[in-house]
Amino acid sequence: MIDILKKISSDFFNKQGYPSKKLENWKFTSSKNLIKFDKQDSPDIVSRKIETDESTLLFINGKLCLDTLENFKFKDNLEIQDLVNINDENVFAFSNTFSNDSMFNLGMSDFESGHYIKFKKNTTLENPIKIINFFENNSSDCRITSFNIFHFEEGSQVSIIEKDINEGTPSFNLKLNKFICDDASNLKFGKYIEEKSDCHLLSYSYYEVGKDVCLNIDSMNKNSIFSKEFIEIDLNNTGSDAKINILNLVKNEQHLDNNILINHNAEHCTSFQHVRNILDNKSTAVFNGKVIVAEGAQHTDSNQSNKNLLLSLDSTAFSNPQLEIYADDVSCGHGSTTGALDENSIFYLRARGIDQSSAQKMLIKAFAKEVIDEFSLSSVQDISEIALDSWING
Amino acid sequence: MIKIENLKASIDDKDILKGINLEIPAGEVHVIMGRNGSGKSTLANVIAGNETYEVDGGNITMETTDITEMSIENRALEGIFLCFQYPVAIPGVSMAYFLRSALNAHRKYQGKEEMDALEFLNKAKAILSELGLDDSFLKRSINDGFSGGEKKKSEILQLLTINPKLAVLDETDSGLDVDALRTVAKGVNKFKNENNSVLIITHYQRLLDYIKPDVVHLMIDGKIVKTGDMSLVEKVEKDGYSWLEK
Ligand SMILES: Nc1ncnc2c1ncn2[C@@H]1O[C@H](COP(=O)(O)OP(=O)(O)OP(=O)(O)O)[C@@H](O)[C@H]1O
Ligand SMILES: [Mg+2]
Repeated sequence: MIDILKKISSDFFNKQGYPSKKLENWKFTSSKNLIKFDKQDSPDIVSRKIETDESTLLFINGKLCLDTLENFKFKDNLEIQDLVNINDENVFAFSNTFSNDSMFNLGMSDFESGHYIKFKKNTTLENPIKIINFFENNSSDCRITSFNIFHFEEGSQVSIIEKDINEGTPSFNLKLNKFICDDASNLKFGKYIEEKSDCHLLSYSYYEVGKDVCLNIDSMNKNSIFSKEFIEIDLNNTGSDAKINILNLVKNEQHLDNNILINHNAEHCTSFQHVRNILDNKSTAVFNGKVIVAEGAQHTDSNQSNKNLLLSLDSTAFSNPQLEIYADDVSCGHGSTTGALDENSIFYLRARGIDQSSAQKMLIKAFAKEVIDEFSLSSVQDISEIALDSWING
Repeated sequence: MIKIENLKASIDDKDILKGINLEIPAGEVHVIMGRNGSGKSTLANVIAGNETYEVDGGNITMETTDITEMSIENRALEGIFLCFQYPVAIPGVSMAYFLRSALNAHRKYQGKEEMDALEFLNKAKAILSELGLDDSFLKRSINDGFSGGEKKKSEILQLLTINPKLAVLDETDSGLDVDALRTVAKGVNKFKNENNSVLIITHYQRLLDYIKPDVVHLMIDGKIVKTGDMSLVEKVEKDGYSWLEK
């Protein structure tokens, strides 16, 4: 099965090539930055041992590390298969947006191995499990591709905190993920990237959501030199709720892009997108958010909010919240603001004896706090606050 | 305490303050009244160092220090406190964090040790109860969603916590119900002593029934045109300002 898909994808990419700026999803982010990276050949060598505990799943260069699985506390709740052995084409189904994106196809044709990880029916995990994505390579300018599918069966309640660690020479990480959330499942997915090397990241996450599902995505990205993340959610059945809260801290010449699409394909679903970017120096942030309410998806309640705080005159934010509505009984809101710190607020704080720099920091934190407070996972809240502190003072 | 000499200020090349002279000795309460738009809030803001206004001439001296060119925070640390006519809301910063930061900035400047959270909380709670505010007030974001009265009480809470040398109250009495007015007046009287000074900007006599002013100034078009005692307030209540223009 997978070979056929890889062949189709490879043909697609060979025909289309790297996406041009004419494409809506690539308008503000140039794929030129990614061309220099070549596919990595031997992705398994790792120079150091990664410490993991019994609630951690370790992926090395995108590949699930089966040794750590032995110690995994919840391994009985999991069913794991190599993607090579899967023949159900539904498992590999992606949205049209992804299937028609040439970088996604490049990823599909590239990847060498991946896993299908299923959390069995009614699995209930009290505490979040951790996913560590460890990337390491020795050759410069290489592209590391990963593809994994997570399936949450009916009634499962799982929290995951994902962290990327990059070592070695800077690479380009191309990540493809699919999340299948069956009826009445509850997934809290927290992502945390604190980039210390110059890695480029392009990720595609597709969520297929059933009935009465509660989905939360918390994400905090700090200092990625280049990061473009696609999130697409298909709300396919009634009563589901999807919340995405994202905080990005960008500076220097960093470039960061969030591309979010939520498809309301069924009645009585709610969705919420809340992306806050704090930009300094010559950095750029892009928000491309879209909600599509399909015909018949009545009683949809959706909201999109993008706020950008510009700390320097040379930073730039592109914000493009969009709505496409084909049903009549819906409540959809969207808003976007971009601006510097409020002078009146700074004056107020300083008039109470607080020095200018502290006043500014207080306001930056306040701006971030409004999204941090919305995160569903308290550990992501804590991590974000610490990361923010050091970002502000660094 | 504060001495203002021939102070001129403008915004966007529009002259607003056109030569203000005002001296408030320690221990005194002064009042400024004047028409809407005559420049009262501008004066208050210029005293506090608001950089949106251009100072075109004159001096402000606090005790013996010339503060005309001083930064906003240093003026505050030197003892100037402005109760804002329209306090800004700052979502995401709690009153507790803000107040403690402000208080500790002052303590540090005075060479005192920082106040720890517990000590601060006790101090703040005592003031809160005098102002008829619940302890949960401290958990709220600065002025965020505060009612008009709560905003004014919040300013008085800050005044009593920081305990400056000069309090400039810009229409702190506006928009208050009878009980809130009395509470605010009680707060100001608690602050007041022979070593500090108060400048009250107001349109009405009602606050002055609780806080007895020593001197009253009337301001017209960026200038103080008349200075006198409480009888000026009664005259304004009765006749307005037009008699001054003749
Ligand atoms: N930030 C500003 N931008 C533009 N004009 C301003 C600004 N602040 C004050 N002004 C102008 O300066 C003049 C004086 O305003 P100010 O607020 O000092 O008056 P005021 O005496 O306090 O009035 P009120 O009694 O209504 O509070 C007004 O004409 C006002 O429009
Ligand atoms: Mg005024």
